[in-house]
Amino acid sequence: MATGVSSANRSAVPPLAPERPVVWPPRKRVQLANGLDIVLLESHTIPKFTGELFLRSGNAAVADQAVGLAEMTAAVVRTGTSRRASRQIEEDLRRMGANLAASAGADTSAISFEGLAEFSGPLLELVSELAQHASFPADEFERERRQTIEALRIERATPEFLAGERLRKTLFGDHPYALVSPTEAQVQAYRREELLWVYREHYRPGNALLVLVGDYGAERMLEQVEKAFASWPGGKARPTRPPAPLAPYGRRVYLVHLPGAVQTQVLVGCLSITRKHPDWMRLGLANCIYGGAFNSRLVMNIREQKGYTYSPRSTVHALRQHGYFTIHAAVRNEVVAATLTEMFYELDRMRALPVPDDELADARNYLSGVFSLGLGTQDGLLSQLSTVYLNELPEDYLENYRERVRALTSEDVLAAARRYFNSANAQIVVVGDRSDVEAQAKLFGELTVYDAQGSILERSVEKGP
Amino acid sequence: MSRLHIAVESAALKNGLRVVISPDRTAPLVTVGVYYKIGFRLEPRGRSGFAHLFEHMMFQGSENAPKMVHIKLINSSGGFLNGSTHHDVTNYFEAVPSNALERILWLEADRMRALKVDDENLRNQRDVVKEEVLVNVLNQPYGGFPWLDLPPIAFRNWPNAHNFYGDFGDLDAASLADVQAFFKTYYAPNNAVLLILGDVEAQESFQLARKYFEDIPAGAPPPFADATEPEQTEERRGVVEEKFGTLPALAVGYHAPKRRTPDWHAMAMLDETLHGGRVGRIYRTLVLEKQIAVDTEGGIHYPSGNLFDYNGPAQMVTRIMYKPEYTAEQTIAEFDAVIREVQEKGVPPQELDPAKVKFRSDYFSMIEGGRGSYIPRYGLMHFLACFTLFDNDPQLVNTILDGFLEVTPAQVQEVAQKYLRPAQRAIVIRKPVAAMRKGAA
Repeated sequence: MATGVSSANRSAVPPLAPERPVVWPPRKRVQLANGLDIVLLESHTIPKFTGELFLRSGNAAVADQAVGLAEMTAAVVRTGTSRRASRQIEEDLRRMGANLAASAGADTSAISFEGLAEFSGPLLELVSELAQHASFPADEFERERRQTIEALRIERATPEFLAGERLRKTLFGDHPYALVSPTEAQVQAYRREELLWVYREHYRPGNALLVLVGDYGAERMLEQVEKAFASWPGGKARPTRPPAPLAPYGRRVYLVHLPGAVQTQVLVGCLSITRKHPDWMRLGLANCIYGGAFNSRLVMNIREQKGYTYSPRSTVHALRQHGYFTIHAAVRNEVVAATLTEMFYELDRMRALPVPDDELADARNYLSGVFSLGLGTQDGLLSQLSTVYLNELPEDYLENYRERVRALTSEDVLAAARRYFNSANAQIVVVGDRSDVEAQAKLFGELTVYDAQGSILERSVEKGP
Repeated sequence: MSRLHIAVESAALKNGLRVVISPDRTAPLVTVGVYYKIGFRLEPRGRSGFAHLFEHMMFQGSENAPKMVHIKLINSSGGFLNGSTHHDVTNYFEAVPSNALERILWLEADRMRALKVDDENLRNQRDVVKEEVLVNVLNQPYGGFPWLDLPPIAFRNWPNAHNFYGDFGDLDAASLADVQAFFKTYYAPNNAVLLILGDVEAQESFQLARKYFEDIPAGAPPPFADATEPEQTEERRGVVEEKFGTLPALAVGYHAPKRRTPDWHAMAMLDETLHGGRVGRIYRTLVLEKQIAVDTEGGIHYPSGNLFDYNGPAQMVTRIMYKPEYTAEQTIAEFDAVIREVQEKGVPPQELDPAKVKFRSDYFSMIEGGRGSYIPRYGLMHFLACFTLFDNDPQLVNTILDGFLEVTPAQVQEVAQKYLRPAQRAIVIRKPVAAMRKGAA
């Protein structure tokens, strides 16, 4: 055996050995009297710990006040407290071997942190201090404001950003998910009082989830968390009731003109579902077969056969209130129309024909296998736990995930594709130099041309029958 | 002080392939890597970008796993795969549930033994690679800055100074014969290391490694071009157009010491005090205090590599995005003031000690992830590979921290004086095209 494989039997692919059981480590769930939800988990791979304090309000929750306000609030939170100046915070972090970041997305604001387990107590104290006693120094706010404006200008020159921003506007309309990023003028208009209002209203334990994964006992974690967070005065954030998304009808094309672009960013999307939806797993598997994995139809077609692009993929984006499905590829200018044709061909094939059994089995095995890769690291565990508890998924979600994926059938995939790969109403965004791609883009629907700032340059008039 | 001991066992097969096993049965996962000791530094002249193009070809088919099969078999085993080209190594790696170990070894052995690709595959991947260069460099604000901009300014010897991603003319010139010759020369088992990390038993893994790899014939020891640099005697500067971005940017690179020397240890600690996040002297001074810049980053072998993964000339690089109302000269003057302060006053123990804590902490994190969590222990794999191929000692992963933690404030000041001299540096400025036009008007 150990001396080699003869060339005669070298052609046989070794079978998979029996699986070792996948066991998700037990986690401790506690709610403090002030309403703070806590999830604790031991992981002893490295002598560190990692955690994240989530506030269940992000930019969408405060969009009626100002676009991007939660993001700016988070950025300034880390720059000072009533007890520590900015420089003190940064030096204390270094002393603990720690990294910390505060940021906000559409649905959450978060303080994420990691450091040596031996300094977990003091790091949790600092996180708590940032959550309760941020002082919003005026000079730090002005510095962050300027840095944000400069970052926005660079975003407006970045194809992926421009494509994503335009698609969100076309899919979400008046819903705050349409607003990915503020304008410079909006950032200029932020007032310190608004940041303080966001902080007072949303940084509250009843609105928060703390997830900790680390190389020490869960009992001690709990003691440290109680010590650091028990005195945080209780309270919940006021819920918001945003308008429904746009749910566009009919295919339309949006061209964002980026003069001098030497490649075109193609992004196609439609509304889909959230993680809590009963069809979530079905859609996940359909996505995997369509374009979610390297070994997917989209990648094999437009990369491995045709060489149009380097990294095409499709993704289901699960925001908390609504989800959406996208297909993206950065392609050379000459093949924009050809790329869109193949994207829709593969999409419609998923909608028309059942997936063959072997392809289905491969995809189920992929999805269930890569799901457990998160077990291997503190980061991976944190990310899986955060997904479960932020989305209020069932307590046994991690444990049952593999079994549920393996039970999915070809009919499930077909049904999900027909329902959510909404090709007739998909919205098409292309970001590139207008002179190179406009003629190709307008083959696919009514065309509107924008500049990078979002102003309309031209709108094609729909011709009557 | 918390330490980390990683179980590491290693052996060489009869054909010269080194095998490194690091068992850890916490989770039923295994990460497998094969590293070849060839990167873009030593790719053939007239074939810039070839090492990377070749990396793509390794996914295009081997004798028993034709095109599409390799990717399909790994994905359908429940795993991720990828490869990447570095200065001095090229890696291929997979993370899978541990029941797929034997299948992965079979696949890696098959492509080490017999790559089987044709002209059609080469044309296809040449197209893919060009789109990769467009999306990452030519159609992206600050694309390639400074990892592609700095080398031609900083270095004089082609291996260190050329375009590592490749000029399109050179990519077009690459032929199937080049692919075959490169494979034969550099992809021999005696120029590689196989790494198996995770849910495995060491002896069983060695047996499997022998079963699949030991009868792959050894190759002639590969030739390695001389990558040494002539002594630099004066500062070098260059300007590159920034086509999309609105902010001016500049990068400064100083030649870094040879790995595993006392100067290297001290330089790493100096680097931590200069570039260690928001508390690092450069970010603190230029972004937070003087507010001349909106972002700075840096490090040894930054941004395409790290302290451990180079085996030839490398630099300590600082990248500065500065505000348009300042000139490059003003920005460099503020940067120089930071450097001068370290040279004149050194770094006090109350700064060096926390920097060591941070360094140790970051080292642990790099070992566990280092490249996102999609490949568990990517960093451990990477370090073990470099310590094997460059240093012939994978156990360094457990001892290498010691040298850094022993560095004294006096040593840090000495290396600041010795290495951070204007005559020993290169500066590249990225000038936004819009600003250049305005300046000309």
